[in-house]
Amino acid sequence: MKVTRRDFLAISGLIGCSLPLSGCSNLNGLIADRMGGGIPEKLPVTNDPQIDPVFHLLSRAGFGPRPGDIERVRQQGTKAWIEEQLEPEKIDDRLCDLRARRFESIELDPGMCYEFKREVLRKDLSRYHLLRSVYSKRQLLESMVEFFSDHFNIYIEKGDCIYLKATDDRAVIRKNALGCFRDLVLASALSPAMLVYLDGKENKKEGPGGIPNENYARELLELHTLGVDGGYTQKDVYEAARCLTGWRLHSGKGRGTAYFDKSLHDDGEKVVLGAKIPRGGGAKDVELLVDIACRHPSTARHIAGKLVSHLVSQEAPPALTKRVAARYVESSGKIKPMLREILLSQEFRSSAGLKMKRPFHYVVSCLRATGADTMAGDQLLEYLTRMGHGPFQYPTPDGYPAEANPWLGTLLWRWNFAFALCSNSSGAAKISLSRLWSAVGLNDASARSNAAEILFSYFVGRRPQNSELAAIQEFADQRNLEDEMARAELTGLILSSPAFQKV
Amino acid sequence: MPHESRRQFLKKLALNPSKLVSEPGTTLVCVFLRGGADTLNMFVPYADDTYYKIRPTIAVPHPKKGKNGPDSSLKLDDFYAFHPKLSALLPIYKDGRMAIVQAVGTDNPTGSHFETQDQMEHGDAYRKTAGGGWLARYLRTRFGNSLTPLSAVSIGPIIPESLRGAPGASAISSIDEIRIKAPCENPHVLSKALSNLYKTDVGVLSAPGKDTLDLLTRVETLRAKEYKPANGSEYPDSGFGRGLREIARLVKADVGLDVACIDLDGWDTHFVQGGATGLQAALIETLSTGLAAFDSDLADWRKRVVTLVITEFGRRTYENGSLGTDHGRGFAAMVIADGLQGGQIIGRYPGLKEAGWILGPSGLDVLFDYRSVLSEVLTMKMGLKDCKEVFPGFQPQDMEIFKRS
Repeated sequence: MKVTRRDFLAISGLIGCSLPLSGCSNLNGLIADRMGGGIPEKLPVTNDPQIDPVFHLLSRAGFGPRPGDIERVRQQGTKAWIEEQLEPEKIDDRLCDLRARRFESIELDPGMCYEFKREVLRKDLSRYHLLRSVYSKRQLLESMVEFFSDHFNIYIEKGDCIYLKATDDRAVIRKNALGCFRDLVLASALSPAMLVYLDGKENKKEGPGGIPNENYARELLELHTLGVDGGYTQKDVYEAARCLTGWRLHSGKGRGTAYFDKSLHDDGEKVVLGAKIPRGGGAKDVELLVDIACRHPSTARHIAGKLVSHLVSQEAPPALTKRVAARYVESSGKIKPMLREILLSQEFRSSAGLKMKRPFHYVVSCLRATGADTMAGDQLLEYLTRMGHGPFQYPTPDGYPAEANPWLGTLLWRWNFAFALCSNSSGAAKISLSRLWSAVGLNDASARSNAAEILFSYFVGRRPQNSELAAIQEFADQRNLEDEMARAELTGLILSSPAFQKV
Repeated sequence: MPHESRRQFLKKLALNPSKLVSEPGTTLVCVFLRGGADTLNMFVPYADDTYYKIRPTIAVPHPKKGKNGPDSSLKLDDFYAFHPKLSALLPIYKDGRMAIVQAVGTDNPTGSHFETQDQMEHGDAYRKTAGGGWLARYLRTRFGNSLTPLSAVSIGPIIPESLRGAPGASAISSIDEIRIKAPCENPHVLSKALSNLYKTDVGVLSAPGKDTLDLLTRVETLRAKEYKPANGSEYPDSGFGRGLREIARLVKADVGLDVACIDLDGWDTHFVQGGATGLQAALIETLSTGLAAFDSDLADWRKRVVTLVITEFGRRTYENGSLGTDHGRGFAAMVIADGLQGGQIIGRYPGLKEAGWILGPSGLDVLFDYRSVLSEVLTMKMGLKDCKEVFPGFQPQDMEIFKRS
C-alpha cells in the first residue's frame, strides 16, 4: 500500500537520525536493500525429496527463511549460524529496528504507559512482537521470546497488565530469553505485570491466621518450574505463597513499579520442597524460593522437556530430554547450552516436517517466505485473532497450547490468509509476486509449466511427492498463468497446502 | 491406564459402531465456566448462618433482607435462593425445565485449573486416561449414524479438549465466516484443488482438511437465509450471547448438530469478586440472560436441546484476604432441558466445613462424581445406551436428574 510505504519512509528518516549509523549513504543503502523487496535476483530451489537441513534449521530455530537466507546460512555453515544466533546482541538488526522501534509505548517505563489508551498499547505490543518475528535477524532469540512468552504467559486484558506488559517483555522475557533460567523466573516473579496477572500484589499477611493468595505460588510450581508432576504438595504451594507475601505495586509516584512492604510479609519460617527458609528473610524470601524451585531436579526435566518439545517434536525424545536436562543441571540453568544441545542433536536433524505450525508461526512464515512488506497493522492482527492466536491474548497462565490438535480448526482461516496475501488483497502486507516468481526462475512462459513443482520446492524446502505435485499441477493446468490472479492463487494454494502447515 | 489398554479401548470403539445408540437429533450444548465458578454465590444457601459468617463481604444478601431490593437473593425454597442476576432463569426453573445438582466435582486433588479442566474434558478419573475427550468418545459411538461436518461445533477460536479425537469438529464464531475468499470468482476450483491436496497428507491434517471443505459446502446452503431469533428473544451483546445465537441458528437449520461447546471465561475470582453486584455478578448476568434468550429462541425445539453448564471446581467456602475466593472443590452443575425432575436443587448440601490439606484444596465436599451427571445426560437425552463406552470403568450414581418414563 502506498500510504504505508510513504509513512515508513518518513519514519525511517526520523529514526535514522537517532540511530548510530555511520552516514546517510549507509542508511539509504540499508533502506534501498529492503525497498528492493529483499528478494535476490536468483533463488536456488532444492530438488531433494528430503527437507533441506538448512531450511529445517531456519524453520524451527526461527520463523522460517526469508528469500536469500538459505544461501547465506549454507555458506556460513549451520554451526556458525547457531553460535551467531546465540549471541544476538552482536547481530546487526537495524533494518528490523527501523520498523519495530517506532512504537513509543514499548520503550517506556510502566508508569508512563498509563498515559496511553489501552487500544494503543494493545496494538503497539502486538505489532512490535510481530515485526520482530518477521524481520529480526535474531531469529533464535525471537523464537525463544515466543516460547517464554507462553511459558510465563500474561494476558494483557486482565487488570492493569496491558500497561505493564511492555516492561515485562523487555526486562523479563527478552533480557533473559537466552540467559539463565533462574534469573528469568526471579525477574518474572517480581514483574509488575505478573504481580497483577496472578494476583501476587494482593498476596499479603493480614494479622494472625491471615490467608495468603496462592494464585501465583501455585503456577510458579505447576507451570513455571517443577511442572504438575514435579512432586510438590499443597503444603508447598501454601508455604511458597507465604514466602511471596508483601510485594505490592506503587500507585502514586512510580506507578506500576514493584516494592516490598515488610508489614504485609509473613516473616515466619517456611519449609518449601523440604528446604527451610529461615524466619526474618523479608524480601530475600522470594530469591530463596526461586533458588529452591529452580534447583529442583523436576525443574530441569520440565524445562528441558518443554524446550525439546518446542524445537524437536511434541513427544520429546526421552534421551534428548535427559541430555538437555543434564546441560541445565551442570550450567545451573543456563539456556544457551540447552539450545546448543538440542539444535546440534541427531534428534533435531531427523525431525524435519513433523510438527504443525501454530497460527502465529504460520502467518509469520508466510510473510517471511514471500519477502512481504508489512507494518503489521490492524488487518494482520485480525487474521491472527481469527485463528485464535493474537499476541498476549491467551487468558490462562498455561499459555497458548503447543500441540497441534487445538489448532486443527484453523485451516480455513490459514487458507484465506494465504490467498489474500498472495493476491495483495489482505491489507495486511504487500508482496512482489513477480519478483519472487522471477527469482525462482519462472519469468519466461516456457518455464511456467514447472511452476507448481518449483514453487512447492521453494516454500516447503523439498520437492513435492508425486501425489502432491499431481494435485497442484491439476489446478495449475486449468489456469492461465499469464494472468496475475492465477499466479496469486497458485502461490496461495501452495501456502495453503498441508506441507506448508508443517515445520 | 497403560498405553496398550488405551489403544485397545479406542480400537474397540472403532470396531463397534453404533448399534448402541438410538434416538438421533438431539443437540447437547455444553457451557464451560472456565476458571472455577463460585456456585455458592449463585445458588445461595441463605438458611445456613455459616455462609454469612465466613463470607463477611461477598455473601449475597438473604432473600428477606432488602425486601426484594435489587441486591437480595431470589428465594427458591426454605434453604436456597438464586443470585439476583440469575433472575432471567427463574421462570425456567419454576417451570421445571432447569435442574441444579449440588456438590458435583472431580477426584482431582491438585487444585489446578488446567489439570482439572483437562481431566473433566477428557472425562477421566484422576490420572487415569481413557483417551481423547468425553464428547469425542460419545460422537464415536454415533459412527455410521450420519455424522455431518457440523456434528460438533465449538464456538470460539479453539477446539476444546472435550472434542479431542472427535470425528470432525469445527471451531467457529459465526457461520457467516465460513467461506473461502478466493482472489478470483470461482472458489470451487480452489476447493477442489485443496481437497486433492489434503487427501495426499498422511499425517494429522488430512481429516481436518476434508472436514473443513465439507463444512464449506454445507454452510453455503445455510447462509442463504437471514436469521431472526424467535419470540423476540434478545441475546446479550457479548461473545457468549452471539455464540449461543449461532448455536440456535445451527439447531434450527437442522444441519446435524450433535454437540456444541461454548465457554464463558473469567470465573477465577481470587480478588474482589463482589457479592450481589460486582465482578462475578456481571458474569452471572451474562450467563443467565444468554441462556434465557437461547431457551425462548428455541421454544419450538425444546425437546431436541439439552444444555449443560459445568465448571472445573467450585471455590473455597470462605473469602480470602483480598475479598475473593481461592480454588475449591465441589460446585453446582446446571441442566436445562425437557423431561427433568426440575425446579429443585438435586444432590445434597454437604455443609461448609473445610477439609484438611491432605485432600488438596478444600472447599465444598464433592458428593457426586461429575461423570454421573454427564452419564445421565448422555443416556437419558442423547440416546447413549451404555455409558461405559464413554466412561470406561466408571460406575455412575443414579442422579435422578431426569424423569424416568
